Formats: sequence, C-alpha cells, structure tokens
Amino acid sequence: MAVAIEIRSVSKTYHRGGEALRVLDELDLQMDASTFYALMGPSGSGKTTLLNLVGGLDHADSGQVVVGDIDLTDLDGSGLARWRAEHCGFVFQGFNLLPVLSARENVELPLLLSPLSKRQRREQAERALELVGLQDRMDHKPRELSGGQEQRVAIARAIATDPAVILADEPTGDLDRTTADAVLELLQRLNRELQKTILMVTHDPQAASYADKVIHLDKGKLGRIDDNRHAAKGN
Amino acid sequence: MPWKLLLRNVLRHPIRALLTSGSVAVAVFLMCVLDAAYRGLDTAVAEASKTRLWVQSAVSLFVDLPESYQTKIESVPGVKDVVRFQWFGGIYQDPSNFFAQFGVDPAKWAATYPEVQLVEGTLSDWEKGRTNCIIGKDLANRFGWRVGDRVPLIGTIFARVDGSVWDFTIAGIYESKSVNVDQGTMFFHFEYLRETLEQGAVQGPSGVGVYLTSLQPGQDASAVIANIEQMFENGPQRVRATTEAEFQRQFVTMLGSVPTLLLSIGGGVLFAIFFAVLNTVLMAARERTRDVGILKALGFGNGTIGGLLLVEAVLLCAIGGAFGAGLALAGNRGLWSVFNNFIPGFSIHGAVALSGLLLSIAIGLLAGALPALRMRSIAPVTALRMEA
Ligand SMILES: Nc1ncnc2c1ncn2[C@@H]1O[C@H](COP(=O)(O)OP(=O)(O)OP(=O)(O)O)[C@@H](O)[C@H]1O
Ligand SMILES: [Mg+2]
Repeated sequence: MAVAIEIRSVSKTYHRGGEALRVLDELDLQMDASTFYALMGPSGSGKTTLLNLVGGLDHADSGQVVVGDIDLTDLDGSGLARWRAEHCGFVFQGFNLLPVLSARENVELPLLLSPLSKRQRREQAERALELVGLQDRMDHKPRELSGGQEQRVAIARAIATDPAVILADEPTGDLDRTTADAVLELLQRLNRELQKTILMVTHDPQAASYADKVIHLDKGKLGRIDDNRHAAKGN
Repeated sequence: MPWKLLLRNVLRHPIRALLTSGSVAVAVFLMCVLDAAYRGLDTAVAEASKTRLWVQSAVSLFVDLPESYQTKIESVPGVKDVVRFQWFGGIYQDPSNFFAQFGVDPAKWAATYPEVQLVEGTLSDWEKGRTNCIIGKDLANRFGWRVGDRVPLIGTIFARVDGSVWDFTIAGIYESKSVNVDQGTMFFHFEYLRETLEQGAVQGPSGVGVYLTSLQPGQDASAVIANIEQMFENGPQRVRATTEAEFQRQFVTMLGSVPTLLLSIGGGVLFAIFFAVLNTVLMAARERTRDVGILKALGFGNGTIGGLLLVEAVLLCAIGGAFGAGLALAGNRGLWSVFNNFIPGFSIHGAVALSGLLLSIAIGLLAGALPALRMRSIAPVTALRMEA
C-alpha cells in the first residue's frame, strides 16, 4: 500500500519562560494511504502538535514531514497555506464554523480558493452537505445547529475540496455517545467509500475502535501501533 | 476576497457598526461646518471694499473723533464722500434681542454702499423724518417689523436724562449683496443723535466714532490714507485710516484665535474618533481570532486575512464619512440661515466635504492597519488555540 504520510526524525520543542519542553523527540512514523488512523496518548503527549505538523499548520524544528510526495519542511508560510487549501481537510474539537456564515457558506469557504465557478462551488458544497446528511440544514447558521450537526458541517467542509488527507483533533470530544457514534461512522464511511486517509486524535477507546489502526504516543515518543482489522479478523 | 464574509462581519454587531459609523459621520459633518464658519470669516475680510476707508481714532475704536473732522477729511484730494458713523448700542426690550444700530448720514451712506438696496420704502422716505430709520430684511423677519412700525430702544451709551426710550420709525427695509453689510442691522439719522445730545436730553459722548470715507474712482487708497493720517498728525486727535478690508480683518483679529480654535476643535474631534474606530476594530479582531485561525487552516493567505479587517474598518469609516459629508452638503441652506447672521458668507464647500470623506477613509486605513497586521502575522496554531 502507498505511503501517504511519512514522519522522519521529527523534533519539536516549545520554550516557555526559559524552560524548554521537548514535545516530539526524533519521531519516526509512516502512515499508509486510504487508512483511518486514531492517535491516542495521555494529555500533553504531543498529539495535537503532531497533527498540526502533518497538516502544515506548524513547523518542525528538525526532521522531515512528507505528505503525498511533498516535503512540508521545504515550504514557507504561504506555500503551506496553498498546500493546505488543496490537500488537507481539518476538523477540530469545537467552534469549527464561522458564526456569521450559514452551513452552506461555511462549506463553500475553502472552495473560494479553488478555480471553481460560483455555481460549481455551490453544487459541490451542497453535495458535501448531502453526504453528511444535512441537506435540510444548509441555510442554518452554526448557532442554529446541534453540536453533532456542527461537526458534520465541519466534516463536509473538510471534504469539500476533495483532499486526500483529513485531520481531526478530538472531533467527538464535545459530543454525547450517540452523536459521537454517528460522526465516527461518517468518518469511517469517508475512509471506506472515498478512500480518504484520516488521522484522528482521540482520548476515547471506543472512538479509536472505528479506526483501522491506533497509534499510541507517549511523551513525544512512538508507542505501539494496534491494527483493529487484524484484531477483528482474529475474533 | 470572501466579500460575503466581510459584509457579514461588518453587520455582526449592527449597533456597534452604527455607532462607529455614526461618530465618523458626526465628525465629518462638524468638520464641514467649522470649515464653512472659518471660511465665512475669511471671506468677509477678503471681499471687503478697497474703495472705502474707515477713519477712526488712532487710540482705539472706542474713542470718538471731533465733528470738525468731516469737512477736513472731505478736503483731502481723492476723497468723494465722508459719512459720519456712530455705534448706538441700544437695547430692544431685552439685551437678548441684540442687534446693531448705527447713526449715519443717510444720503451719503446710501451713495457709499451701492450694494445695499431698499426693497421697501425709499431714501427720501427715510430722509423725511428725523426719527426715521431703515432696517435689514433679516431683522424685519426676526421681529416681524414692517414699514411704519415704531421701534423703541433703551439707550445704553446714549441714555435719555428723563429715563424714557428712544423712538424710531421704520421707513424702509433693505437687502444687501455685500458680505460687509449684514441684513440684521438698523441705520438711523446721525443728526437725530447729535441734536438730542446738543439739547441736553441725552447723556453720552459727542463726536463721531468712524468717518466712512469713499474714494473717487481709480484713487490709490494708500496715498489717501497717508494724507488723512498726516493731516491730523499734530492733533487735536490723531487718526488711523484703513481700507474697509483692513478694518474687517481687525475684527477677525479681535475674535483672535477663533479660527484657530475652530480648526483645533475639528482636529481634536477627528483624533478622538480615530481612537474610537481603532477600539472597535481591535475589539472585532480579538473576538475573531478563532475565525482567523480557521481561515488560516483552510488555506486563506495572510493578505486576504489582513485585508478582511482593513477593508471592514475602511468600510465603516467611509460609510460614516459619506453620510456626514452628504448631510452637510444637503443641509447647506438650512445651516446658512442659522449662521448667516453672525458669519456672513457661510457656505459648506464641496471640496471640504470631499476631503472629509477622504479623511474618514484615511482614518479607517490607519485604524484597520494595526489589527490587520496583527492578524496577518499571528501563527495559525496560536489563533486556533484562542477560545471563541
Ligand atoms: N505554543 C505552545 N507553547 C508552549 N507550549 C506548548 C505550546 N503548544 C503546546 N505546548 C505544550 O506542549 C505539550 C504538548 O501539547 P499538545 O497540545 O501537543 O498535547 P496533546 O497531546 O494534544 O494534549 P491534549 O490531549 O491535552 O490535547 C503540552 O505540554 C503543551 O502544554
Ligand atoms: Mg490536543
């Protein structure tokens, strides 16, 4: 299987008040394309930091982050922005949407950076919203949506530009069990039906069970990687 | 540029947007009015006649000159007419009803001020009776006076010994095309004042405040001025002769720093508005930090993100500026009727309204620049960590 994401000897250190905190320590990791990964680990273990590096939101101090065939460490700020617009979709824990825009307008937002016509943008946004089951909520403002609906709009926005990689940082962290399951099933479908590579940070083992593989991170070092598919087969 | 987002952001807090725009509108409106007032004072000076001289005491405007000076000044080569001119300072019923009254020589005065036309009554009507007077159109409107009405005035400088009032009869109403003669003044017979003083029925200074001296056509004012001043070099009272233009300027100087005051008030208001706008935009930027993080994550460039805030600030200010400038221009006539009485030539200038609009755009640019730069350079992860 093709390699989608490759982390080569990546380190990241934060400095706060003269103290250096090494969050990622010469981390090496390979992720396959079209695979759903869960990233688990104790609070402060560097999960969000790693996700941000893979998404080109932050720079590594050393090492290389290669996504697809592009080495993100070669790109500057605006190069990274252009890359994100085309290759990567994000879902955060909460407050994903711009409050002044409707669901449809939020999903259309990243498409403004594409060469699509106004009509094509609208159609594509509506298709994405239909995919997440929100065709009857398109004109609602974020404050008129439930938490689960908001996360589904965020997912629709993440897939609107049809990127190969979707990064989600605790997307179900604020949701109740049933709503969380619906969102996780949706992510699973995107992986299975649209072959998206998904990296999802979570604290919840049940959420992680939706993923193909579970990566464990501890104090900036890679722990074991569980393969749910083998486990399932073994049953 | 995501215009829809920009517009929604502007309207996110309608009241706040309205207040910000409104304060800019008020400032620009005020600026237009202050400028018109300032310009009005200046025009009065600039348009004053150079063919009329004002001869007054060298000591001060409040010291009278001997009556014998009239014929002497008339004998100076180049002089056409000399009009006696005296400030009366009477009160109509109450000091708050203030208007100016002058004693003059009617026929000579009328010849000296061809810009002033009687629209009711004639010069000979005025001349017929000693107590007759003429009043300006605005003054007539102010008190609803008509020809034939009697105007009782309480003398202040010229108080009657028996405590009674002065009685004047309106014989004519004038209009003035000159900014130097407003339409809110009363002119009466100097002779009436002089006679009454002579009879001892009134106490007050005898003499003449100013000799209004008109020049023969083509006369060089400075030569005549020099001659007149020289004539009284050795007393009994030295005089100062000035062109009417110069005389008017003296009043503006007496108002002293009023023009400067007007301009600094305008400047101060604009400065305060700048901070009000800056505050609004900074507040808006702060509450939108999370939005900025999301936009950056989606791949929007720093230029677009800074531009959103900058254009929003400019839009708020420009709308306010346009409204204030438009209001000033549209209200020009109404404002004129309010101010024309004490600032002749008051008029809102289109160019100033335009520069008010440009200035408000500049304020928007300046106020928007700081938050725009800040949001431009904030790291995506930092912005995203901000709680909404
Ligand atoms: N900008 C920063 N400046 C300084 N320290 C930071 C910064 N960002 C993260 N850290 C620190 O780095 C460490 C790892 O942070 P990170 O957000 O990656 O952890 P995490 O695994 O996502 O934790 P959580 O499960 O609580 O979200 C934490 O100790 C955090 O305090
Ligand atoms: Mg985290």
